[in-house]
Amino acid sequence: MHRVNDGHAPFLPGASSPIARLVEAFHRLPGIGPKSAQRLAYHILRAPEAEAQELADALVEVKRSIVFCAQCQNLTSRTPCDICSDGSRDHHSICVVEEPLDVLAIERTGGFGGVYHVLHGVISPADGVGPEDLKIGELLARLRDVETEVSEIIVATNPNLEGEATAMYLARLLRPLGIRVTRLARGLPAGADLEYADDVTLSRALEFRQEVQ
Amino acid sequence: MPGRVPRVVRTPAIVLRHRRLGEADRIVTLLTPGRGKIDVIAKGVLRARSRMAGHLEPLTLVEVVLAHGRSMDVVTQAQTIDAFPAAHDDLDRLSAAMYLLELADRITVEHADAEGLHDLLHVALVRLARGDGQQVVTRTFELALLDATGFRPELTACLRCSMPVAAEAAWWAPAEGGVMCASCARAHQDAQPIDATALRVLRAFQTQTYEEAGRIRLTDELAARMEQAMHALMRAVVERDLKSAQFVSAARRARVAGEGIEAAIDAARDTAGDDEE
Repeated sequence: MHRVNDGHAPFLPGASSPIARLVEAFHRLPGIGPKSAQRLAYHILRAPEAEAQELADALVEVKRSIVFCAQCQNLTSRTPCDICSDGSRDHHSICVVEEPLDVLAIERTGGFGGVYHVLHGVISPADGVGPEDLKIGELLARLRDVETEVSEIIVATNPNLEGEATAMYLARLLRPLGIRVTRLARGLPAGADLEYADDVTLSRALEFRQEVQ
Repeated sequence: MPGRVPRVVRTPAIVLRHRRLGEADRIVTLLTPGRGKIDVIAKGVLRARSRMAGHLEPLTLVEVVLAHGRSMDVVTQAQTIDAFPAAHDDLDRLSAAMYLLELADRITVEHADAEGLHDLLHVALVRLARGDGQQVVTRTFELALLDATGFRPELTACLRCSMPVAAEAAWWAPAEGGVMCASCARAHQDAQPIDATALRVLRAFQTQTYEEAGRIRLTDELAARMEQAMHALMRAVVERDLKSAQFVSAARRARVAGEGIEAAIDAARDTAGDDEE
């Protein structure tokens, strides 16, 4: 049994205590194990009340005010989102990504001036996710309803089995509509080592090789 | 206490699926010839510079080196033997391959001896990747898998009264594991009439060699009927919906959707699919 010695020693709370509830809540977050959950909970306990209140408010507000953008399905506080309502962006090309975080990753590169569509997942039968569980119907409805004609769909799903299946499924639906469907190039990452590259990556890297500038 | 020397095993394996474990690790489900289906830990594969990640994707035949771990073995090396690249180039072949992987995964129990299964799956994936008809590959794999796991379906005699059933008069009872005669089927709610040609071809697939089966010409319609019957049977055997079976059907619907955006929307939104009907 732990003894309280300096005011914040980790004595073991009962399962129904507020501390246990907080630990349990943190534990449910992705990537947080039982030890990290305890550490976070006791950090909150020691922090000033204002800081805890700020965290609580932020959590409640994010759930209340964040909605899906009616166009790109990204998470946003207003719809259409900043990217979709930005007239300086190229609305002829749509980059399709799996998750909202992928939008941030591509935006960080500064190399894409078009707009996005977030699928919120990827076709993954092993995890029970089929095409009907993604925002694919929304993408097609968007193509039907928008005024600007879309000339290219860039499928930026991850280069794995599920991402490939999703990309090919989208291409099969979109090609008959006369829209150019492209896929992110696949090759060696920066800092890679040829010796350890897998066969698929290496053969794709060879296939899509480019002239040295 | 001196640590025990880790026992190291080198084995070929087919990667069936993986799931995330913590920040950068994965639990990878492998089908091996010697030890059946096993879950192993692959450390650090979610990091961009991982040397193993590309080798441990589903639909890859790899050679792995496994170190004995406390609850699960840990992958220390992985080298692709065959990534079945041609199976990745076409949606119908890819969805069929995903279906084979899910079937092999769902029908096996961890650590159960599965020497035959590894070889069955490997052969089927090789055939898919070299461009054999996916319907023939899938149906013969299903039937062989059912044989190997003790679920061989009864396709010729009634499951109730054991009398031989003519293909024209047969009813399909997936939950019972095969066909019934019309009079026995009347008392059985789940039984459905089955297309006579579809049943004849399934019978042929069950008894003939793969090469003989491959010579049978299948129209799209016939293939779809056989697929529907076998998907229902497999669903009954594994006692759950097979999402990949629905995806195989969704991919086909997208192919035959026809022109125009409304057709595409219908194809994408038709969640029930012909599997469920």
